[in-house]
Amino acid sequence: MAKHETPLLDQLEGGPWPSFVSDLKAQAETKPEVWDILGQLELSYKDRITHWKHGGIVGVFGYGGGIVGRYSDVPEQFPGVEHFHTIRVAQPASKYYSTENLRKLCDLWEKHGSGVTNMHGSTGDIILLGTRTENLEPFFWDLTHEMGQDLGGSGSNLRSPACCLGLSRCEWSCYDTQDACYHLTLHYQDEIHRPAFPYKFKFKFSGCANDCVAAIARADVSVIGTWKDKIRIDQAAVKEYIAGNYPSNGGSHAGRDWGPFDIKKEVLDLCPTECMWMEGDELKIDDAECTRCMHCINVMPRALRPGAEQGATILVGAKAPILEGAQMSTLMVPFMKVSKDNEYEELIDFIEKIWDWWMEVGKNRERVGESMQRVGLPTFIKVMDLEPIPQMIKEPRCNPYVFWAEEEVEGGFERDIDEFRARHAA
Amino acid sequence: MALSVDELKAKIVEKAEKSPKPQLYIKDFYACDPDAKPRQIKNVANELVREGKLMFWSSGSTTMYAAPHRIQNEEKKK
Ligand code: HEM
Ligand code: HEM
Ligand code: SF4
Ligand code: SF4
Repeated sequence: MAKHETPLLDQLEGGPWPSFVSDLKAQAETKPEVWDILGQLELSYKDRITHWKHGGIVGVFGYGGGIVGRYSDVPEQFPGVEHFHTIRVAQPASKYYSTENLRKLCDLWEKHGSGVTNMHGSTGDIILLGTRTENLEPFFWDLTHEMGQDLGGSGSNLRSPACCLGLSRCEWSCYDTQDACYHLTLHYQDEIHRPAFPYKFKFKFSGCANDCVAAIARADVSVIGTWKDKIRIDQAAVKEYIAGNYPSNGGSHAGRDWGPFDIKKEVLDLCPTECMWMEGDELKIDDAECTRCMHCINVMPRALRPGAEQGATILVGAKAPILEGAQMSTLMVPFMKVSKDNEYEELIDFIEKIWDWWMEVGKNRERVGESMQRVGLPTFIKVMDLEPIPQMIKEPRCNPYVFWAEEEVEGGFERDIDEFRARHAA
Repeated sequence: MALSVDELKAKIVEKAEKSPKPQLYIKDFYACDPDAKPRQIKNVANELVREGKLMFWSSGSTTMYAAPHRIQNEEKKK
């Protein structure tokens, strides 16, 4: 496979930032098929259309996911990318690797594929880009037998669950995100490796509302740590912040002089529910109004901590813009105990209730968030046996009509039409 | 489930053989046994894949099922 002229791609090497074009050129020195990625992409830029074909039947035996078939539609010109399948490999919880593991993964991929990787894909797993059909089974054998690692999800499967660093490094984590993620990954092996649903399904675990894995934007079930009781306040430390003795935000904005710390401007006025105030030099919080957004805790981590009664908020239905645009998850359960002591029973029951409904009602290629939109929130809330609460909606209603269901009306909707018509002719 | 597993398997295979569309979504098989739960249909369809009577076709984001001789195989049509 020869080098191709790539004047359009070469422009992407000109800027001050790292360039995938330079990376691919470097890789092509050892893996000549990579020249054909560059060649085909240059042609796409010229033709203004992709030259990848979408999909296929490739996979490894017993699995219905983890391998995504990709083929060139101009294989005569670019034989190196005639087959260019993607492999998804499940990532370790919170993406902790040993260098030994990373080296082995790279060696394995040099052996069976193009050596090109994407760490990590938007779902969270390790993406290995580009191999031929005949390499799939040998790769899978080595991955599972030599490295004890497994494929992730693709297609209409449960996708590889992902979690934030959680308790491993973060004092804010309100539950053990890594354990929850690992437990549910093992619990749902069948759903991860074989298709089960009308479309993809994801869950993600963040330990607090900072939501470092963007669960609220990416997951069909977003599990976000929170607390039920009060923010724990150390008033002495509040005074240290006000006196300028402790750096705000843990010093993370120290690169510039922002002037002296101003608790009113930086904390009280930015509280989204305006539930904080000072009484003399005492910080007060009306915890009943606090929406657990984490802002004040982020700014003054030595003075404020999440409450002690910890669990998670469960939200449902985020998706990226395929139909109807992007959408964040909607709050469904404000507080749920998320605990390994009962093997996450409550969470698992909740997830399976959604699945039972969505597998029945969801249309082909419809994310659960889209099914929710289609049937409307009131219907979904009933399906889930939940009571409606204000936090489930974005804004107060602007529709003045009130619709009653028959069971909500005393006496129902049944009436004697003849008797009515006797008094009111049609 | 009103049908036995074997009856359901036969119906699913028949649908995959005869439906005008060669590739079907899992939901297209629900009608094979309206009394079965979607999850039971899914499990039986996946078992048929292991037995070689159906195959998966995936775009990467969705997965479909087809009888092996009706499936779109990128590597065969040249
Ligand atoms: C319990 C009895 C009634 C109910 C529940 C009812 C309900 C309504 C509703 C919901 C509207 C629409 C309001 C809007 O969107 O602005 C409306 C409009 C209207 N109703 Fe009634 N109505 C009742 C009795 C009557 C009667 C007895 C009449 C006439 C004799 C009448 C004549 C009208 C008219 C003309 C409008 C249009 C007003 C407009 O466009 O500004 N309604 N009604
Ligand atoms: C072919 C004939 C008619 C057509 C196509 C028609 C169409 C419409 C439409 C499109 C609206 C607005 C509905 C909305 O706000 O969503 C409306 C409202 C209304 N029409 Fe008609 N209409 C017709 C005949 C009539 C007649 C004959 C009457 C009275 C005798 C009438 C009385 C009203 C009233 C009172 C409203 C207001 C209702 C409300 O505000 O909710 N319409 N009509
Ligand atoms: S989401 Fe919260 S708990 Fe998890 S790592 Fe980020 S800040 Fe820490
Ligand atoms: S967590 Fe957010 S809502 Fe609650 S008091 Fe702090 S800033 Fe206000």
